[in-house]
Amino acid sequence: MTKKLFKDRDDFWRLICGIIAILGFLLIWHFGTNGTRLGEIMPGPIVILKSFFEAFTQKTAGYTIFGHTFWSLSRVLVGYSVACVLGISLGLLMGRYRLAEAIFRPFYEMIRPIPPIAWISLAILWFGLGETMAYFIIFLSAFNNITINVFMGTKSINQELVGCAKMLGANEAQVFRTVVIPATIPYIFAGMQIGISSSWAAVVAAEMVRSSKGLGFLIVSGMDINNISQIFVGILAIGIVGFLLATIMRGVEGKLCQWNVRGK
Amino acid sequence: MKEKKYTLISIAAVAIFLIIWQICAAMNPGGMLPTPVAVVKAFFLKFTDKNPDGATMLVHLGASLKVALSGYLIGLLIGIPLGICMAWYKKFDWFARPLFDLIRPVPGIAWIPLMIILFGIGLLSKSMVIFISSFTACVINSYSGIKQTESVHLWVGQIYGASNTTQLFKIAIPTALPMIMTGMKAALGTSWGALIAAELLASTKGLGFMIQQSRGLMRVDIIIAGMAMIGIVGALLGVLLNLLEKLVLRGGRW
Repeated sequence: MTKKLFKDRDDFWRLICGIIAILGFLLIWHFGTNGTRLGEIMPGPIVILKSFFEAFTQKTAGYTIFGHTFWSLSRVLVGYSVACVLGISLGLLMGRYRLAEAIFRPFYEMIRPIPPIAWISLAILWFGLGETMAYFIIFLSAFNNITINVFMGTKSINQELVGCAKMLGANEAQVFRTVVIPATIPYIFAGMQIGISSSWAAVVAAEMVRSSKGLGFLIVSGMDINNISQIFVGILAIGIVGFLLATIMRGVEGKLCQWNVRGK
Repeated sequence: MKEKKYTLISIAAVAIFLIIWQICAAMNPGGMLPTPVAVVKAFFLKFTDKNPDGATMLVHLGASLKVALSGYLIGLLIGIPLGICMAWYKKFDWFARPLFDLIRPVPGIAWIPLMIILFGIGLLSKSMVIFISSFTACVINSYSGIKQTESVHLWVGQIYGASNTTQLFKIAIPTALPMIMTGMKAALGTSWGALIAAELLASTKGLGFMIQQSRGLMRVDIIIAGMAMIGIVGALLGVLLNLLEKLVLRGGRW
């Protein structure tokens, strides 16, 4: 299926086809909404692009689009960092020590099947309407994914390597630092990668349910005032930031784990 | 023998946790933490009691399942063939991929407000949200599953004169099935989460609606009971998919 021969020419045609597809989609959208019944509720692409660029300077609900993005990102940063630290440590502990697994695994298995979003109601009652609620939801959704990946990774370590290190006189701390952690790094990154996208989705959900700033709030307030182009501006920004976050994570992984196939 | 010891430790950990919870909650009654006993009671009472949100647990569960499964099944029916076609037919990929890449980075949840405006708060808007959430996972996984097919296997097929379609159905799709099943499992998780989000935002019944209403009434016991139900049903659906996977894959024998 993969022929190397025409690679460059294929890339050229791929680009052309991509442009045609997107242009065609925009044209259908444009003419579908221009002067038709559908157009009465649905704005065309031009209107949406215009309001997207207007949102750079114009303030909606007190912030420009950058302000809202900044608020969402700062929430993700807090929740995600805590989730990384706790999730990686818990995953490593549970995977390495049978005792830690026996203690923590039941609780983890209880929490895991509940979608993090379902915690929103409880979190609001416990932590109030402030930032803590959003941090908690983001933390949960990243934590679930990171822990399971790190745990599975630690479990799948080749026990012969651990045995070798022990035989050569390594103590537990050395085994942990030089065998367990390096072998788990690819899984840690896999978990962090899934974690960042799920926490980005979680921040949107948390802000939609209850917030006064952030991208999730932007789209839900667009719904409340029946402003579809504002919703699309929000969706566009969410998509772009989500894409950038995933790309950055993949880039970091590629740089740090060049020795690993998954890192490619 | 050793395993038995660890099982006992697990049971002890859960028991200690429940006892601490019971003591803490019993010490400040009227707080935001009901005792575990109250939660269990609320859970079973909710099966027959319509208060305070107007329907029993099973009615809510049925409403949620209807929305989730309809959206999920449409997501599978469109997502898997699309992913397969994108991986198999290069020209189709050239056209479809840019459009797919446009919607892929947007979390399904973000479409909720738009869908509510366009389709109201009924079954259709929520199914659309779940459809989008499950669709992306299905496409990505079936795409990479087909791409895993080894060229050697295809060459063997070609030597024996298999047509392009035969190669697809007899070689590529069987290779891709484990990945497709993985995609279905991932899609189930995201769509169950998206359903709850959609019901929290706007609905008149469903488990998400139930916990949202109970929040307004400060009935934490019902919230936790609802969350437990969401977790249990989500886990059960996952188990069903695992059974299906075993049935379909049968140890890779095709």
